[in-house]
Formats: sequence, C-alpha cells, structure tokens
Amino acid sequence: MSVESLSGPTDLSDREREAVELLLRRMADDEFVLADRYTEWQVRAPTIESDIAIANIAQDELGHARLWYDLLEDFGYTEPDLIWERDPETFRHSTLVELPFAEGDWADCIVRSYFYDEAEHLQLHALADSSYPRIRDRVEKVLGEEDYHREHAVNWLRRLVSSDEGRRRVQEATDRLFPHALTLFEPARDAADAEAVIDELGVRTRTLADMRAEWLETVTETMTDVGIDLRPPAVSDDGSVDADALPDHLGRDGDHTEHWRVLFDDFTGAYREMELHEATRFMKDPDDE
Amino acid sequence: MSSEFTGEGGAKYCAYTDYAEGDYVEGFPATGVGAEGVERDVWDALYSVDDPEMPISIVDLGLIYAVGVDAETGEARIDMTLTYTGCPARDMLRDDIRKAVLAVEGVESVLLNLVWSPAWSVEMVTETGREDLREFGLSI
Repeated sequence: MSVESLSGPTDLSDREREAVELLLRRMADDEFVLADRYTEWQVRAPTIESDIAIANIAQDELGHARLWYDLLEDFGYTEPDLIWERDPETFRHSTLVELPFAEGDWADCIVRSYFYDEAEHLQLHALADSSYPRIRDRVEKVLGEEDYHREHAVNWLRRLVSSDEGRRRVQEATDRLFPHALTLFEPARDAADAEAVIDELGVRTRTLADMRAEWLETVTETMTDVGIDLRPPAVSDDGSVDADALPDHLGRDGDHTEHWRVLFDDFTGAYREMELHEATRFMKDPDDE
Repeated sequence: MSSEFTGEGGAKYCAYTDYAEGDYVEGFPATGVGAEGVERDVWDALYSVDDPEMPISIVDLGLIYAVGVDAETGEARIDMTLTYTGCPARDMLRDDIRKAVLAVEGVESVLLNLVWSPAWSVEMVTETGREDLREFGLSI
C-alpha cells in the first residue's frame, strides 16, 4: 500500500473529512435509494424465486447503505440528518437508481441491476486498500455479499434475450438507462475539490474516469454478447465522456430528475405525517443509552 | 406450465447447494479460552446469549471477536460482528448482549463495538456450534 493511512473519524483535518464524507455519501445514497426502488418488485417479480432474490438483493443493499451511513454517523450525524430530515437536494446518488420502473418491466430492473452491480464491483475493489481504515475494513464483507448480484443480473439478461419480446425490452431498457448509468462515475461538480482529494489521499485507489473506462469495456462486451446494441460514448483524454451522452440531471451534485422528489416524499411520508423527530424503532437502540 | 417440468430444454437444478464458503482466519473468532476473573464471567454471560433465530450461542456462532474489561472503570469492551450486513436482528441482538453483560458482577458499563473485519463466514462457527446447528437441522 503506497498511501499513508488516515486517522480515525475524530482526528481528520477538514479537508480529509470532506473527501471521506463525499465518498461515503455517494455510496450510501446509491445503495439506499436503489434498495428502496428494488422493494417495489416484492410480490411482483415474474417468478417466486426471482421475487425472493430481488427482495434479498434489496436487503443486501440496505445493509450496505447502513454500513456507509454508520461511518457518516461517526462524524456526528444522526439517522434523521442522513435520511429522514435531509434536504432531498443534498442526496448524491446517481440518477440511475432513482428512476421509476416502467410498470411491470422486469427487463428494466435487470438491466439497471447489471449496470449498477458492475460499477459497484469495481468501486469496492478500489476501496479494498483505502487509506481510511474504517472503509477498508468493511469491503471484504460487502464484496462477499455482492457476487451473486451480478450473477443474478447476467443470468436473467441471458434468459430475457432468448425471446423477441424480451430482447426488445432489454434493448429499450438499455437505451433508456445507459445515459443515467454513466452518471455512476460522474464527479460531484459542486464538490470538485473534495473529489480530487479522494484520489489524492487514496481514500479510493482508482479514479472515477479509470473505473468508468473498465466498466464501459465490460458492459459493452456483455451486452454485445447477448445481442444488445450498446455504443459506448466518446471519451476524452482526461476520461470525461461527451456531455451529449449524459442525461440532463446527474444526481451526484444534488440535481435530480423529477422522479426523485416523488420517491423521497414517498419514503419519508410516514415520518412526516406522524410528526416524528427521530427514527422509529421497535425497540431502543442499545447504543443510544 | 407442465411443459416446464419435462426436463427437456436444458433445465437445471438450482446451482446453489453449497453455502459453506469462506476462509479460516487464524485466531478468530474469540471464545474466551483462558479468560479469568470478571472477563471469564463476561464470557459466560455471552455464552448464555442465543442467536435470535437459531438455538446457538452467539459465541459458538463466532460473532464475538474480542472481550476486555477495564479493571479500574469496570467497562466491558466487546468487539463483535454480524453474520450479514443487512441483519434485521442487529439492535435486538446487541440489546440482549448488553443486558447479559451488564448483569455481570464487576461490570459497570458496556462498550459494544461492531466490526466487519475479518468478515464472518461459517468457518467462524465452533465445533460445539456446528453440533448445535446440525441438531437444529442445518447441514454444516
């Protein structure tokens, strides 16, 4: 490991903390919002096995969101700060994870999952030697729970393209989702300094551009292999993709599609209507004593 | 639907029949061998806490990574993990542990530290734990 280890949460400089926090928010928000979307498939997936599988994948992603939100709590934030009472325009997830599913369109769920899980796989490997020990120590456990997500997505991709209608739906989902999937690797434009510090301090050991290059190669190969037309966008020397290839809203900088506000109001609805000021629990959190 | 069950067309059984993956990690989990005094009593208290879903002690399940009691302050520090990051019994289990340990004479407070490295796998389950799980009907 070439980078020097950072200190614990209370001993970071402001600059270090901003970088760690930005990375954690990107990851936690992605996982949390995607998990929430996945749960829409519970009791509606095409087979009982896929129903259980998608519910389980949602639970995995919620568990991972919690691991990253826990590390944000190290900095003094509470769960209401991080989710329930947060300004929705400060969420940093990619727009890929917030889009609604076209009704009953399982191909959308599978293509989305495939794009996301390939990206998450690359990112987790780029965190295995993170200079921030509390991130590094969690990677192995998360990776162990991620492998079958990609396997699940690829198995379903192959099954779906075996019929004309399935292939048409996968193609449509690919065309619709691909620009949003590219935002998984977009920097937060309102926090360009912190993005640079993430790389400089080795909080993540590969740059967004570097990971995106590999991701583009992998997903293009997989999609082409199953007979789906996917043309990767032009990439500049600095690793940025052509602005025309990106959607209007990137998510990473807090700028989201109109669907995000609907989803946010939906999952925070009970919290607001019951006039809660802290997260409800079935029992007291032993750490809150 | 019946055509799906003829066995033609290359249908296969579910590929996932072996869940026993994971590596043995030297020194993990901790089991309290050789512990003495208040720490011994804390270990005994931990052994009395069962997993919420299976009749197995959390120590034999391999969830406890370290135990230490500060002789001056009476603070018991416990490093523990969970089998799964999305574990819904997280708070329940931690509450059970906290109560059991606080009941130990000589313990004034409990610091529960949730850790994820090394990652838990079935390799962490002790021999006694394996017998308990087999008796419960799990193949391990």
